[in-house]
Amino acid sequence: MTSTATSSILSFSGHQYLRHRLVLSILSAKTVKIDKIRSDDKNPGLRDYEVSLLRLLERVTNGTVIEISVTGTAILLKPGIIAGGAVTHECPLSRSIGYFLEPLIMLAPFAKKPLNLTLKGITTDDQDLSADLIRTVTLPHLQLFGISEGLELRIRKRGSPPLGGGEVQFLCPIVKQAKTLNFVEPGKIKRIRGIAHAVRISPQFSNRMIEASRSVLNRYIPDIYLYSDVYKGEDSGKSPGYALSLLAESTTGAIHCAEATSKPGTAPEDIALLASRALLVEVRRGGCVDRQHQTVVLMMMVLGSEDVGKCRMGEPTPRTIQFLRDVRDTFGTSFKIVPADSSSPGTVELIYSCYGTGYVNANRSLA
Amino acid sequence: MEDRPHKAHRPSQSGAKAEKKKEKGKEKQHGFNEKAFAPRSGRRAEKQGRRAAERDQTRLHVPLVNRTPDDLPPPVVVAIVGPPGVGKTTLMKSLVRRYTKQTLNEVKGPVTVVSGKKKRITFIECNNDLNSMIDVGKVADLVLLMIDGSYGFEMETFEFLNILQSHGFPKVIGILSHLDLIKKAATLRATKKALKKRFWTEIYQGAKLFYLSGVLNGRYPDTEILNLSRFIGVMKFRPLVFRNSHPYLLADRLEDLTPREEIRKSNGTCDRTVTVYGYLRGTNLRMGTKVHIPGVGDLEMKSVSMLGDPCPLPDADSEKRRKLSEKKKLLIHAPMSDVGGVVYDKDAVYINVPGSFTRGNTDVPQGEGERMVMDLQDVRSTLEDRVSRSQIKLFGSSSKPLEAGPSRLPDQYGDEEDEEDEDMDEEEGSDDEEEDGWSEMDEEDELDFDGVEDEAAEEGADQGRKTLRKVNRDRERGMWTSHQGREVDYADSDSDLGEVGDEDEGFQGFGSRRVHFDDDEDAVDIQSDDDVDALSDGEEAPQWKSDLASKALLSYQQHSKRAQRKDWIKLIYSSSLTPEQILSEDPSNDVVDSAKPTDDDFFTIKSEAAIGNEDHDDDRSKPTLNEEDFKEWEEEELLDSIRGLFITGSSNETAEGEGDYEDMEGGGDFEDLEAGDNTEKAPVDPEAARAAELAAKKEALKKKFDEQYDDPDGSKMDFYDEKKDEIARQLQINRAEFEDVDPEQRALVEGYRPGTYVRIELANVPCEMIENFDPTYPIVVGGLLPAEERFGFVQVRIKRHRWFTRTLKTNDPLIFSLGWRRFQTIPIYSLDDHSIRMRMLKYTPEHMHCYATFYGPVSLPNTGFCAFNSLSNTAPGFRVSATGVVLDIDRSSKIVKKLKLTGVPYKIYKNTAFVKDMFNSALEVAKFEGANIRTVSGIRGQVKKALAKPDGAFRATFEDKVLMSDIIFLRAWYSIQPRKFYNPVTSLLLSDKGEWKGMRLTGQVRREEGLKTPLDVNSTYKKVERQPRRFNPLKIPKKLQAALPYASKPKIMKPQNRQTYMQKRAVVMEPEEKKAVALLQQIKALRKDQVARRREKQDERKAAHRAKVAKEEAKKDEKDKEKRKEYMRVAGMKSKREQEKEEGGRSRKRHKKD
Repeated sequence: MTSTATSSILSFSGHQYLRHRLVLSILSAKTVKIDKIRSDDKNPGLRDYEVSLLRLLERVTNGTVIEISVTGTAILLKPGIIAGGAVTHECPLSRSIGYFLEPLIMLAPFAKKPLNLTLKGITTDDQDLSADLIRTVTLPHLQLFGISEGLELRIRKRGSPPLGGGEVQFLCPIVKQAKTLNFVEPGKIKRIRGIAHAVRISPQFSNRMIEASRSVLNRYIPDIYLYSDVYKGEDSGKSPGYALSLLAESTTGAIHCAEATSKPGTAPEDIALLASRALLVEVRRGGCVDRQHQTVVLMMMVLGSEDVGKCRMGEPTPRTIQFLRDVRDTFGTSFKIVPADSSSPGTVELIYSCYGTGYVNANRSLA
Repeated sequence: MEDRPHKAHRPSQSGAKAEKKKEKGKEKQHGFNEKAFAPRSGRRAEKQGRRAAERDQTRLHVPLVNRTPDDLPPPVVVAIVGPPGVGKTTLMKSLVRRYTKQTLNEVKGPVTVVSGKKKRITFIECNNDLNSMIDVGKVADLVLLMIDGSYGFEMETFEFLNILQSHGFPKVIGILSHLDLIKKAATLRATKKALKKRFWTEIYQGAKLFYLSGVLNGRYPDTEILNLSRFIGVMKFRPLVFRNSHPYLLADRLEDLTPREEIRKSNGTCDRTVTVYGYLRGTNLRMGTKVHIPGVGDLEMKSVSMLGDPCPLPDADSEKRRKLSEKKKLLIHAPMSDVGGVVYDKDAVYINVPGSFTRGNTDVPQGEGERMVMDLQDVRSTLEDRVSRSQIKLFGSSSKPLEAGPSRLPDQYGDEEDEEDEDMDEEEGSDDEEEDGWSEMDEEDELDFDGVEDEAAEEGADQGRKTLRKVNRDRERGMWTSHQGREVDYADSDSDLGEVGDEDEGFQGFGSRRVHFDDDEDAVDIQSDDDVDALSDGEEAPQWKSDLASKALLSYQQHSKRAQRKDWIKLIYSSSLTPEQILSEDPSNDVVDSAKPTDDDFFTIKSEAAIGNEDHDDDRSKPTLNEEDFKEWEEEELLDSIRGLFITGSSNETAEGEGDYEDMEGGGDFEDLEAGDNTEKAPVDPEAARAAELAAKKEALKKKFDEQYDDPDGSKMDFYDEKKDEIARQLQINRAEFEDVDPEQRALVEGYRPGTYVRIELANVPCEMIENFDPTYPIVVGGLLPAEERFGFVQVRIKRHRWFTRTLKTNDPLIFSLGWRRFQTIPIYSLDDHSIRMRMLKYTPEHMHCYATFYGPVSLPNTGFCAFNSLSNTAPGFRVSATGVVLDIDRSSKIVKKLKLTGVPYKIYKNTAFVKDMFNSALEVAKFEGANIRTVSGIRGQVKKALAKPDGAFRATFEDKVLMSDIIFLRAWYSIQPRKFYNPVTSLLLSDKGEWKGMRLTGQVRREEGLKTPLDVNSTYKKVERQPRRFNPLKIPKKLQAALPYASKPKIMKPQNRQTYMQKRAVVMEPEEKKAVALLQQIKALRKDQVARRREKQDERKAAHRAKVAKEEAKKDEKDKEKRKEYMRVAGMKSKREQEKEEGGRSRKRHKKD
């Protein structure tokens, strides 16, 4: 019974999954080398938002060395320590704030000082989690791991694509160690919440979305509150847009979410229906954690104390699968994934369990 | 006969015996008088209550998780520490004798024995080297601290205690030896008392101290050792924080696996591949963690493998047959000592054989090693002969049996392994008898088997080491083989393909073909081909619409069924499929792709297509919402199907809803597939499920009611119990989670657990470690956390040890023992200056903590350390120079030191002055614009602007007019970084392990090289010549004087020039008067003379007295000198005696060998 070693320098290739690879590298303090970044593309190399992310990571950390090859198709990151503190970053308009916030949510609890990050750019788009979902869904997931006091995301201004102009402030406390998760009871959906917002257009749009969404969801549950979030003037960004983000919370605190954003030529009712149905799909997938948050939860489970953490989730997404493989390469932790004996045989629910690495926030100072 | 179960004892229920027993119990009950202990007054009761509560609190400690498993804990490390000649080896031998009834001749390295049903002990003797003491202090669970009772405490003892203190205090039992040398009973009592008092102040009041009287038969008296072993047996250990977060191992064996040829070619200087063996301790050891061997350095683990326990705990079986297994239980594992006739060295195995190498000497019991040697004599033919005779075929299809060629083929591995296995079996078998032969091992020869010399025997073992060494205890082997079988199944994607292909056929039989993963995002979209056609063809399709929902639901269910049946762990971790392929519905095609990616043109084209489609491979967290995907949700039926997931829906709604689908599937191929797969649970009967659910609900309700009704306060626990309960619960989960997983998978998921005996293969080990290997120096393999692998600036809180005589100076090298490591680095000391800045200190303050910052490998905050100036044994005095704790880790440091820039004014207007000589250029001035400046007399000011003319001059304003003679200074802070110097203490690599030399101080280097300190002329102190200042007299104009009021007018008097009245008169005395004056004068003169004479006499007396005192003093000195001489003579004799004793032992041993 023998297992062989992994080397201390990690190498990956391809531009995919860049974010979690960088996060894993910084958390594990292992140098990462990523090559063949769009090397076969007509427009090879890193995109502007990826460079911006690297810059943001450099600013949040102390002593990080990032080397980008001349063509931009390979990077080498020698991670420093996660410093935290007050940081302001201007995000490019090609990706929304969610793209930048997601990796930082995994890093911030293990910083030296509490992070106070101000990000400027697009708050909601159709590629990444919107600021609303991060505030209402992602942050509660962190609370499962004992990261709660002082955890906050303030949406100062909203910004829709293409011009953005939004601003969010992310405050994250530091912890010594993430708590071990044991979350296997998905429970039943007890409430549905939602935020509909419309900027630089008629506020009537959000009301129309709410109404359409209720037409689908009302049949299930009476406890539905869909807020119409209004931002005026300067706070509403530079471009018009609207979106509906929904979340369903279960009796045990499991949250599923879905979101749909405005597209040109689509009625707000259609957007609302899309969001509502996407939520129903998420709910049907079951588990305690929805698809978008699998990686965050798994990451924190890996970083937990040296105990067995368990979580019930649906089928892994491609991102999650690659994440699990990368975690194995960086931390040497593998998950045990077995089907959950769910009462309803129709759903794919798996129990992910792992033995935490006992990651302790070494950056935290005692003095 | 033996395996028939014994009848359990049944106590008699009636009769005289039963009566007697009953009475006995009753009597005891009777004797307890409750009233006797009742408090007499309320006040007293209150006092007693308070006292009890306080005592209760002292019992509590912060709850800590114990990571060591209860069922199979690693042996407890008991270190025997003390100065040389105090009796450590004797104690070790006595204890080993006590536990195993075996006498060790030569104790080297750790010795593991079974001490109880669930307890094992590893004894290790620590030599007098400070490096060893540090390493042992880091791994010992219990320290037997030996003190020479006839001599008292020695410096090393105190040093060791300080080392222990800074690395988490393990349990310590003091042992006083050599008490037989004190002859007088009163002195003995006094000595014991004094030593105990000192020991208690050092450890804690009431620390255990043992007294060992003289040596009998080379051992301590059996009763005393028995008592000591009992104390060791009941010792409870609290987990220490550092050890509870790091895996570690105390190597009890070391082996060099480097190919001989490579060593020969490189003259023995090539890096070695080394395996170390030992019990894992601390936390789980995972692959990928780096390890540090103190004294060697950071090393990469090439592989870890679990071995059978060489010193297993008695299992339940042997416990039952206690009498029979009495001998078996007395196991000992000490590879570096001479147990069982075998001594493992770094590169050879030595076997002791009694008498001569003749056969037929069967009456002499044979140990493991002897048997091996005897067996070797049986070989009548060479290996080549045997192979040529053998009929082994490598493959079933090969026509010729295997032939022995000139060189070894790699294919021969298989039978090599077999051979080795056989060897191991023999070892196994002989294990049981090993203690038999051992009492007669006193006068045996040592026989050196060099691996190169005896080819036939050694080849298998020597080369076989390149592969894993598999020790096959029965249990282990079973698992191994079963695991191997599975490994073959999954490691190859080809075989995978076969299996999944079967599955696939089953699905095709079912009827609907799946859309493959042409589009990555389509994993969710699982409509059949017909549906897709219908979608694209026309809008009408009412029948399509009608069963859309049910189809969707059906396909979803099928999808999920299949997903549930997947072996996710294998797919994710041991297949080379891309994530998309794993998720795609039908993995068979994909497997083909990934199985031969090189020759598949289709594959490359596809990837190009993917590149064109940019949106899909971006790192996005939200799935794209496609309206078409959600069409199915327009159906009421589908919407209703998930009602059960909401609190408003009934619990069994979904179950029912799905029930009929399941029935539909019942006819398909699903059933047998499921039956074949035993990981999948059998479909539950809905009735039974409902009943079970109801029962569970009832149970929960009943429990809740019971809790509330029976004991409303009982469920409420205090914080302490709650925490402990929580820890226990988590440990329970940890145990339960991986219980049924096979060991290989388990090691992959949770690492190797503490308590397992492992073999760690280390690559690139410096050759000196092997060349200069000495088993008396402990080898500790400490696992590093990911954070500890990197380097940075470490800020620590440090305090110079009060017994260390010199102060510590900034930028002087210091040796730290921090975490597992020992290293030399250059600290900078600092103090927090009003919470504004970290200000550098030149020297550590007296009796006070300060900060130190150094460059080195980081350790987690709150890790303790101790520091030394020198580790050498010749260093005088107390060697622990400082202790402290890690506070902070960073990549930069913020230490500043004061910098004073001075200048002088060269032109002064009212409150403005032009200052020169502070800066050299206008640019420098620009940098300091607005900075605060000050004169020596305390007038504050500000730098304004650079002036054009003299370079570096500037205009400054002050709060008052400054003088030309004032010196103006600017106080600035200059930031400094510690030097990036890190020098690990590689003591284990030296041939003389105590003589490690680190970086020397400049002064030391100069002294040794005979260089003079360079003297800067400007740095020499010269006499300061101060010109006396002359002030001009104050002149007040006449006019002004006239206008001043009288009080302010200068009052200058002319000296008197007239004679006074008395001066003008002459005095003439009367004759009477003259006489009187003359008489008075005479009397005074007489008196003077008298006083002078008296003083003279007194001086004489004093001188005499002084001479007398001096004489006495001289006599006293003489006496003292004599006394000291006598003392030194006795001490010298003692040390000489000791030396002789040591030498005598050695020479005796030598005699024996001859």
